[in-house]
Amino acid sequence: MAIAVFVIAAAMAVLGGIGVVTFHQPIRSVLSLVVVMLALSVLYLLLSAQFVFAVQIIVYAGAVMVLFLFVITLLGPARELGRGRLRFQSWLSALFVLALLGLMWAMLQGVQYRQPDKADLSIFGTVQWIAVYLFTNFLYPFELTSILLLVAAVGAIYLSRKRIDDL
Amino acid sequence: MSSLSIGGSQLDTSWFLLLSAVLFVLGAIGVLVRRNPLVILISIELMLNAANLTLVAFSRQLQNYEGQLFALMSMTVAAAEAVVGLAILVDIFRTRDVEDIDDLSELKG
Repeated sequence: MAIAVFVIAAAMAVLGGIGVVTFHQPIRSVLSLVVVMLALSVLYLLLSAQFVFAVQIIVYAGAVMVLFLFVITLLGPARELGRGRLRFQSWLSALFVLALLGLMWAMLQGVQYRQPDKADLSIFGTVQWIAVYLFTNFLYPFELTSILLLVAAVGAIYLSRKRIDDL
Repeated sequence: MSSLSIGGSQLDTSWFLLLSAVLFVLGAIGVLVRRNPLVILISIELMLNAANLTLVAFSRQLQNYEGQLFALMSMTVAAAEAVVGLAILVDIFRTRDVEDIDDLSELKG
């Protein structure tokens, strides 16, 4: 049962990823990415990461993708022209990327797993369990991310303000 | 030893890692080949998601909390990156019409 869920979600994720790369209209790429994120959220649930599953759907498939859709509607549909200035760019990049995939495949062959820490799997990944560690061991990084979000918000407002000389 | 018992059936952790590698590579292809700056940002999001899958898979394999917390942190970073990147893009598109990422190669305003 779990294997069937994995296979279906993985196939959806890979097809969505291919769609992100191959579709010529940006709106279709964004919608393919939404498919990838939903498939990944199913996989998170399979890995008993319930809180990450919820955050993936709310923050990623919800907020970030809506942001992308807003920018596309703001900028209008831009179709891609033909190829760029570098003549062999697509072939070269395909070669490098295949080499990268081969490298990762070779690494997976020889991977040795450490012995598990033996957590209580009945509460593993729940909100309560995440919160305990987020507000004790990870309190400092947690506060730093809030500063990061503040900086990002200030930066976005600064970049998208109306210039004085535009008026 | 690398297999996880989920719902009564055995799933191998390296399947998740392989899927994550494939997704990462697809994102890398997108960044290298596509010419629309918006699609390049989308491909970067794809690569970040692939890395998140690795973190969560290892968290489940080692039954360790750090992987999931790292995944949450990287989601925050991805959201911040998307916001600032899109704001820069909107600012650039306001002054000129960019159809190709190579139009932005000279770093002039």
